Amino acid sequence: MAQYKNFAVGVMLMMTCLLAVADSTVVVRDAWVREAPPGALVLAAYFTLENQGSKADKLVAVLCPDFDKVEIHATEIRNGVARMIALDALPIPPHAVVKLAPGGQHLMLHRPRRALTAGMRIKLELRFDSGARLTVLAPVRRAESGAVHQH
Amino acid sequence: MTRKALISVSLVAALGIILVLGYLAGRTFRDPARAITVAGMTVLEPASPLPEFRLYDQNNQVFDRTRLQGKWSYVFFGYTHCPDICPTTLVVLRDVQKIAGGKERDIQYVFISVDPERDNAATLKRYLPYFHPEFIGATGGQGELMRLTRALGAYYESGEARNGSYEVHHSAAIFLIDPEARLRGLFAGPHDAARLAQGLQRLKGG
Repeated sequence: MAQYKNFAVGVMLMMTCLLAVADSTVVVRDAWVREAPPGALVLAAYFTLENQGSKADKLVAVLCPDFDKVEIHATEIRNGVARMIALDALPIPPHAVVKLAPGGQHLMLHRPRRALTAGMRIKLELRFDSGARLTVLAPVRRAESGAVHQH
Repeated sequence: MTRKALISVSLVAALGIILVLGYLAGRTFRDPARAITVAGMTVLEPASPLPEFRLYDQNNQVFDRTRLQGKWSYVFFGYTHCPDICPTTLVVLRDVQKIAGGKERDIQYVFISVDPERDNAATLKRYLPYFHPEFIGATGGQGELMRLTRALGAYYESGEARNGSYEVHHSAAIFLIDPEARLRGLFAGPHDAARLAQGLQRLKGG
């Protein structure tokens, strides 16, 4: 009987997990980590979030085993001065596309635990206010400004 | 009227005429400083000479005003603990260098760290070649950095410490210094390599 009860609890737990995943209406795409110069103690990651549902959600945390700490940041330029603002959460309104891109919102990745070079893939776990979690493999890429591709 | 009084009156009148003429001439020939913005570049007319300052480059060589003489310099202020805007700008400058063709020996690219507590010659020497082997990195004492940034109208300030780290707020602009070490132009951003390259071409041409 006890065995049966454990099994039931297990099934319920599994269903809760599935529910949490099913509940997520946010998708993540185009994730990448900006390759940094050797010895750099901070890196940035970027991606696009799309809320395909009609309920607002928020990105509240990102976990990454390759760094000591991950923060959600925004670069703001006010009166010609660039400032980095740490965000507690990144709102993703219903049906909205939220872009993290160079010069704007980004993940600030503190103190890499190993040398990261272009071509490697970094696992990021995105946690949302709704309880949803998304895992994405973000390739490390050398950044281009996009201005000189014609040559 | 005595002769003495006449001379005095004449002198006062002459002085008056000279003052009025001088004022008019000044208004006509000595334009006040102007700043015109075209295609994202603000041009200073006349160019604004830089004061003396003393920083050190990534090879621990003195980087002072003379290092800005004889070449056009694109100057950007930042710090290496900056994950987003600084590398983004340095990539743009790398592309400016590509557009210039690398043959332009009269152009240099200077990254000045406004975070001397964490950045030094060794840090800059490790950091900059990733963007371009010829990029110059420099930093120095707060007083010297302040003297240079003030003269350029640039700004920087360390933010509050948070979890053992801090950000440095800094001007996003790229400054263009002429071969006589004078501030000639500035690009407020967002930065575009083609526009940065064209801006300098325009200044060289005119």
